Amino acid sequence: MTSVRPKLKPEQFKAITGWETTTGDVIWMRGDGSWTKIAAELGAFAGEAAEEALAAAQADEAHVTGAYFMQVTEDGKIDGRETLRESIRANGPTCHPQFAKGGR
Amino acid sequence: MYRYDEFDHQMVEDRVAQFRGQVERRLSGEITENQFKPLRLMNGVYLQLHAYMLRICIPYGQMSSRQLHALADVARDYDKGYGHFTTRQNIQFNWVALKDIPDVLAKLAGVEMHANQTSGNCIRNTTSDQFAGAAADEIEDPRPWCEIIRQWSTFHPEFTYLPRKFKIAVTAAGSDRAAIRLHDIGLIMKANAAGETGFEVYVGGGQGRTPHVAPRIRDWVSKADLLSYLEAVMRVYNRCGRRDNKYKARIKILVAETGIETFRDQVEAEFAAQGAEEKVALPQEEIDRIGAYFAPPLFDGEGGAEAFEAAQAEDREFARWCRINLHPHKEEGYRSVTISLKPEGVPPGDATESQMRLVADLARDYSLDDVRVTHEQNLVLPHVGIGNLYTVYLALRSGGLASANAGLITDMICCPGLDYCDLANARSIPLAADIQTAFTDIQEQEDIGELKVKISGCINACGHHHVGHIGILGVDKKGEEYYQITFGGRADEKAQIGEIAGKGLRQDEVPAALKRVVERYRSVRTGKDERFIDAVERLGTDPFKEALYDAD
Repeated sequence: MTSVRPKLKPEQFKAITGWETTTGDVIWMRGDGSWTKIAAELGAFAGEAAEEALAAAQADEAHVTGAYFMQVTEDGKIDGRETLRESIRANGPTCHPQFAKGGR
Repeated sequence: MYRYDEFDHQMVEDRVAQFRGQVERRLSGEITENQFKPLRLMNGVYLQLHAYMLRICIPYGQMSSRQLHALADVARDYDKGYGHFTTRQNIQFNWVALKDIPDVLAKLAGVEMHANQTSGNCIRNTTSDQFAGAAADEIEDPRPWCEIIRQWSTFHPEFTYLPRKFKIAVTAAGSDRAAIRLHDIGLIMKANAAGETGFEVYVGGGQGRTPHVAPRIRDWVSKADLLSYLEAVMRVYNRCGRRDNKYKARIKILVAETGIETFRDQVEAEFAAQGAEEKVALPQEEIDRIGAYFAPPLFDGEGGAEAFEAAQAEDREFARWCRINLHPHKEEGYRSVTISLKPEGVPPGDATESQMRLVADLARDYSLDDVRVTHEQNLVLPHVGIGNLYTVYLALRSGGLASANAGLITDMICCPGLDYCDLANARSIPLAADIQTAFTDIQEQEDIGELKVKISGCINACGHHHVGHIGILGVDKKGEEYYQITFGGRADEKAQIGEIAGKGLRQDEVPAALKRVVERYRSVRTGKDERFIDAVERLGTDPFKEALYDAD
């Protein structure tokens, strides 16, 4: 069970994120449609392109699990209501700094 | 402790093989996440904020040295070198890769462990008093009954798809250390007028967004009838529990909406209607067979009282640890040791690989090969001879495990919160760390005395905040973390839900606010014998609410 993410408007910029199926690692889609474990490399999508990117991710379930939209700014910074949750996903647990990730 | 027979071994090994196939099909894309999810949950695999989380069952919180070493192996080989002990007396690994989980489960099967029924809408791990079989205040050992319930409920076809998860706890002690009335079914072993031991039964307790303290449904059920009576309760729940709304699907809602009298009548009717062929046969020979696994160990009266006293006289910190972390044992010359997993700066309930190995070795050498997990996220060595206590203390101290804070304000229950949990609204562990820092002075902590602080990062209440003497609930206000405080909750034999104090506080406001509350308590208590919860019981919550918000 995962928490319900807020619905985003079509014009808002979004990243596509989920979990790598094999490992469970958090991953983000790059602008070219490939996947990365470094949030700084994520691509920002909007409009129809975002919908197509999410559909492609959801169709690739052997590689990515639970793909969803995450709100970002045009230049790909984490934004919106879920900023704290998504920052922790990107940077690692704040209570275990030794497990820090690449972040954004 | 219970040892697997050939059927148990076969069942667990078959299950591992089955799950290995399911994982392979998931990884190949043959099955979707929606198809896989119920299968992985039945095997204790969640998908959390950062990774898969594997929850491993520790039946009624008891394990051997060998089993704890196996968990340490998992921490080293498949996780990031640590594990997290939970309020369900289980352990969770937060970073295990899905591809590795079948291997982890195979390794655990080799030491008679598994992850079955640690998730899903089934009967979960039966929990108990962490001092079971050792406590001076119990009428008999409840563990055989936990095991009997485990065997009855595991893979029970009728109760595999309940409306919601289902938790049973058993105690046989005068003091409730197992939060009995916060469970779907709580069982207290007691004698009837004829002197026979049976069970007082409570039903419909639970926390989450709608907390309820379980009412008593039956004053006494005999041992022979226990499983049939439980089955009657389960059948009424399975038949009448709501499946249309997961937030109203727990038995606590059914009992509250039906009313305990009507619910009791329904259960009694179901119980009476069971034909002889339907009754769950529980012959005395079977009770004796299971009970034999829990026969009292050979206590050889190790002596050492003089050395024990001398060590306390020489080492004041050891003396303090003895005052706070030892529990009376039914056998003269022994104590049960609480190993606090709440040292300052460490997430509550975490233990590293090396700490697990240290505890495992101490259990093997000094506690008759027995380790317990408490629902307050600590470990226990249940049977330590007093002559060995100083040796055990020094070893624990070398491993960072000798915090003398069992039951004190820094011994907090704390859920993983938003640092790990995808359901959470706020972080819990950093706040726990701030509170530990604010109350770092151990002398001050000892002077404050027993004070149970419990923190949850969301309304699901995994951190038991409803029953904290001081409860803390993390909430999200427009993307910012706030913390709502409750007073007067308790999970003991006077179980009750805490009362919300008022508006939430920011994280940086909480430690100072708790300081004011504690100072108010110290100023109003009748003496050190009056614990915080006793003062709340005598005075109500108003003086403490006032202190909480009295920032000026």
